[in-house]
Amino acid sequence: MPHDRSRRPGELVFVILLLLASLWLFWQSVLISGFSGLSTPGVFPMLASGVMVISALWILRDTAKRAPDGGGISRFVEQITPLRQVVMLGLVALYVALMPWLGFVVASGVFLIATISFLWRRNFFLTVGISALALGVIYLIFRVAFQVVLPRGTLLQGLF
Amino acid sequence: MEILGFLTLSWFDPSLLFLTAAGTMAGIYVGAIPGLSVTMAASILISFTFKWDVNEALALIAGVYMGGVYGGSRTAILLNIPGAPSAIATAIDGYPMAKRGEAGEAIGLTTVMSVFGGFVGILALALFAPFISKFAIMFTSRDYLLLGMIGILLVGTLSGESFAKGAFAGALGVLIGMVGLDPMTAEGRFTFGTITLMGGIPYVVAMIGFFGVAEAFVQIHSLDLPVIRQKIDRIIPHFSDVKRYFWLALRASGIGTIIGALPGTGGDIAALLAYDDAKRTTKDPDVPFGQGAKEGLIAPEVANNAAVGGAFVPMLTLGIPGDAVTAVIIGALYIHGLKPGPLLLVETPHLFWFIVGNLALANIFLLIFGLTGIKVFTKIVECPKAILIPLIIILSSVGAYAIQNNPVDIYWMLLFGVIGYFLKTYGFQVGPIILGVILGPMMDSNYRRAMIGARGDIGTFLWDFASHPISLVLSIAFLLMLLSQTPVWAALKSLVSRETNLSDQ
Repeated sequence: MPHDRSRRPGELVFVILLLLASLWLFWQSVLISGFSGLSTPGVFPMLASGVMVISALWILRDTAKRAPDGGGISRFVEQITPLRQVVMLGLVALYVALMPWLGFVVASGVFLIATISFLWRRNFFLTVGISALALGVIYLIFRVAFQVVLPRGTLLQGLF
Repeated sequence: MEILGFLTLSWFDPSLLFLTAAGTMAGIYVGAIPGLSVTMAASILISFTFKWDVNEALALIAGVYMGGVYGGSRTAILLNIPGAPSAIATAIDGYPMAKRGEAGEAIGLTTVMSVFGGFVGILALALFAPFISKFAIMFTSRDYLLLGMIGILLVGTLSGESFAKGAFAGALGVLIGMVGLDPMTAEGRFTFGTITLMGGIPYVVAMIGFFGVAEAFVQIHSLDLPVIRQKIDRIIPHFSDVKRYFWLALRASGIGTIIGALPGTGGDIAALLAYDDAKRTTKDPDVPFGQGAKEGLIAPEVANNAAVGGAFVPMLTLGIPGDAVTAVIIGALYIHGLKPGPLLLVETPHLFWFIVGNLALANIFLLIFGLTGIKVFTKIVECPKAILIPLIIILSSVGAYAIQNNPVDIYWMLLFGVIGYFLKTYGFQVGPIILGVILGPMMDSNYRRAMIGARGDIGTFLWDFASHPISLVLSIAFLLMLLSQTPVWAALKSLVSRETNLSDQ
């Protein structure tokens, strides 16, 4: 086991969360068919979640042994969830949430322009041009050539 | 004669020929562009191609796989950024060569040698798969359960930060695979009373989430890496070089094929082992290793392409994927209603020979595309990640939606993407998760069949593992692997090394 590095920011909390999730999943597995037999549908989920609980305990032991990171919440935000990540996550969440309403083409167009201008910060018209080009190519390849069904929005029903 | 017809099916059919070529071409770029992985591309492609004819889908995916494994080497040489994990070893000597102005030569040599390795792997597939498959017919449910566990264990131990993290990821994957109605009794598992979850979580969605979206979020961290440009001149390698490194390439092909064929280990490990082997066996290289030795460039590249053919062996004969990409391809086979396993060669031999022929064809295209268009290539790889990342997210969403035309799948994808981001950040690997999702249901049904066969008696069940030769061998292999991860093993090893040291003196 390598002990040469200190904990990553938030690592201990994350591992504890994993352990709690594993315990909850184990409990859910027990609920499937209890301990009524050895070939019931619940046995394998119990085995799998049991492995999760044991390995999570093991990981917790290893993580606890490491030197704490010592940076607190600010270090966590800086390294694990910097603003760029959070904003991107928000944009992606917005994108998938609005897609059924706006439709694939409009939602993706807006998403591309928003994310590329956020991450790239160049000329706005260049961003729009690249977005339009990329979207056009995606549409041609997938909708026209591959015949993939793309989500259509309720807002512009039938149009996109 | 019949076999020959299946073998060359894609060689003479214009549309299959085109798809293989397009797949190989696309694969090279996907493999080369840091941030895009073959696994990512293959999982997205499956969702697009599942309505196609199986031959066409396989032609495209085989091309992407073949091209992608190779493509990683280009960015490794040109930018010192391995485009794929299997090219990590390539960068060690490839980049110093490029810095000396020999980038073109390095790429040319890599291409020719990769194709050589690819052919050795394919040959091994054609020769050994029918033999292994005959043997695998004797496998019982127990053995499949063991094979599944060995596969996940291997991926977990070899790829992650620690064994416990690999085991956790594998078990998590198995559990994701369990969601939905139990296929044996139609009881709900983890459905929480909702209809949405009864059909289970499509594994392609899990793949796209963990490989595509999670990776995109990880990539945001490295947005600002500077781009380095290289001079490209001579590309066709000297014949004397090819001749000189023939034996090295042959040995690396052997390593690649065998490592590729082991369930759970793929091109990345094969490449590292071959590099290590080349380093140990090359007595006096012209240039020291790590400073641009051609041996160090050739060995890993030959091995990772040989591993492609090797990885198909357990996948087609046992239904056990060799690595993450073959895990995705196995998903493609299931989607097309095929059951990879010992009966695949008996029931659908045409498909097996088609795959072999198609891989060979993709390998030929690799040679063509590998030696041409490198100048255009350098321009495309410089595509800023700020544009690439939003595109990955859009492609992933289209892929997740395309499987069942269900927007809920896109939400799943995002959830897996976020979980995957945190798991990756804290040193977990997502490979074992995907292997678990795919192998979980197979292991579950085989476990229960074996248990029912033992009449529900735990004693009989366990005794069966020891009393049947195949099961015994696999059980021992499994236990040894497990043991090798515990402190007991380390203690034993230090004891043995101390004794040998003593006897040496």
